[in-house]
Amino acid sequence: MKKNDSGANGASGHDTARRNFFRKLGRAAMAVGVTAPSMAAPAWAGATFLEAFGDFFQQHYKKMSREEIEQVLERIERKARERHGVDINCENTPPKKNAVFGYALNISKCQGYRDCVHACVEENNLGRDSQVEYIRVLEMDQGSTNLEESDHYYDPETVPTDGKYYMPVQCMQCDNPPCVKACPVEATWMEPDGIVVVDYDWCIGCRYCMSACPYSARHFNWTEPEIPAEKINPDTHYLGNRPRPKGVVEKCHFCIQRTRKDKQPACMEACPTGARIFGNLLDPDSEIRYILANKNVFRLKEELGTEPKFWYFTD
Amino acid sequence: MIACPREARVLLALLIAVASASAQEATEGSITEGFSGYAAAPEFSVVPRKDELVFYPCSQCHEFLEPDPTVRELMAPHEIEFDHGAGRIWCLSCHMLENRDQLKSALGEAVDFDAAHQVCGSCHGNRHKDWYFGAHGKRQSSWNEPRVIYNCTHCHDAHSPAIKPRKPMPAPKARAGLSLPEWHRHEKKPVWERDEKPQKPEDSDEEK
Repeated sequence: MKKNDSGANGASGHDTARRNFFRKLGRAAMAVGVTAPSMAAPAWAGATFLEAFGDFFQQHYKKMSREEIEQVLERIERKARERHGVDINCENTPPKKNAVFGYALNISKCQGYRDCVHACVEENNLGRDSQVEYIRVLEMDQGSTNLEESDHYYDPETVPTDGKYYMPVQCMQCDNPPCVKACPVEATWMEPDGIVVVDYDWCIGCRYCMSACPYSARHFNWTEPEIPAEKINPDTHYLGNRPRPKGVVEKCHFCIQRTRKDKQPACMEACPTGARIFGNLLDPDSEIRYILANKNVFRLKEELGTEPKFWYFTD
Repeated sequence: MIACPREARVLLALLIAVASASAQEATEGSITEGFSGYAAAPEFSVVPRKDELVFYPCSQCHEFLEPDPTVRELMAPHEIEFDHGAGRIWCLSCHMLENRDQLKSALGEAVDFDAAHQVCGSCHGNRHKDWYFGAHGKRQSSWNEPRVIYNCTHCHDAHSPAIKPRKPMPAPKARAGLSLPEWHRHEKKPVWERDEKPQKPEDSDEEK
């Protein structure tokens, strides 16, 4: 008897849930029917029908024509205005010819101030709530390169601490990137200037790339990045620091919106010690080429064959 | 000894190099003789800094003061904490006695304040070379040409050049919904030797 009762109760509960669901669906359909013809009133999460439609049928970045990309950039700007009330400028600056970017970091100069980390957060419109930071400054014991014993939550009164050295880790922009191989939808790839980029509109958020990356350099937006309107950086790039949605993976992109216009990456500009050196690997007169030729350089986890374009050196 | 043509060629090349170097000096005008930079270094210009100097030009007071080469303590209005060279050098090692608007290299050459790196480089040769080629120091705004670099004295106080420790920027927070363990440092011991509850070290209160 008991069994039957509970069964009957369960069935009726299920029925009401289903009824409620259909009722809601009907209401939603009505709402769509009313708002769709006007095409101006915000319907889904603040986006108009047309915007949502455009988002849904947007092509892969590499397959879009120039006009289509222009439309997408305009839509991104419109959406930023709706969401944050800020006029941003989203660009699609092409890669420079005869340039492959590389980075060198002097770990005997780095003092662990974390100025780079916070400059990066501000430059790249990273969510202030989501705690995503592209750069992780590892505090390491002198005489050891054991990453297992490193600490990136260090917070003493003053740095550097005796007996420690500091090793900032970010995306290594590998020349043989495992994340790109892992992506099932080709939402991430290496650009001709060597920057590994993500198309946030194509990413399905499966996070395979994150587990493929040996440097933990990729980050997932568990929540929609929340940024105060006055803190938004309006100079953005489609493959770089444009506002991202929830549920996509992002990572350091060598400040693509800056470096493709000859500016330094934000972390390099912010570094007060001059430990960070960014440059063109194809230019034999560049500073980075001098370092590679004359300093004791090493790459992180080089034995994995990922060919990072990010070198550490000491002097 | 037989004169080797290869040696002769090397000698000739050296002579030409010296001649061209001296010609370059004449055009630069910041330094009269001696070191004139590395020929292979990429071209650059240095961010000027004279405007930031509080008392410059120094001659506005010093032309009324008698030059005094005796080693002595610095007087007001100069408030300088001097911690450089461990007692080996004093003011007039780097400042010209006769013309206070100029600096002085270790060889005694007059150097403009905006070319202060020549003074620093006359002792710190290796760093100076790294700075010329871009392995030391900092660039302004662009990674590409034109190369504009900061002078030594932008980052290092010439009178106390060691970089001072300071407070780091805020540490990353734990991900939303998670919290850092009270003692967040990784254990030194391998996993199989760790206790169930790691003992909190006594000094961890200070670190928090």
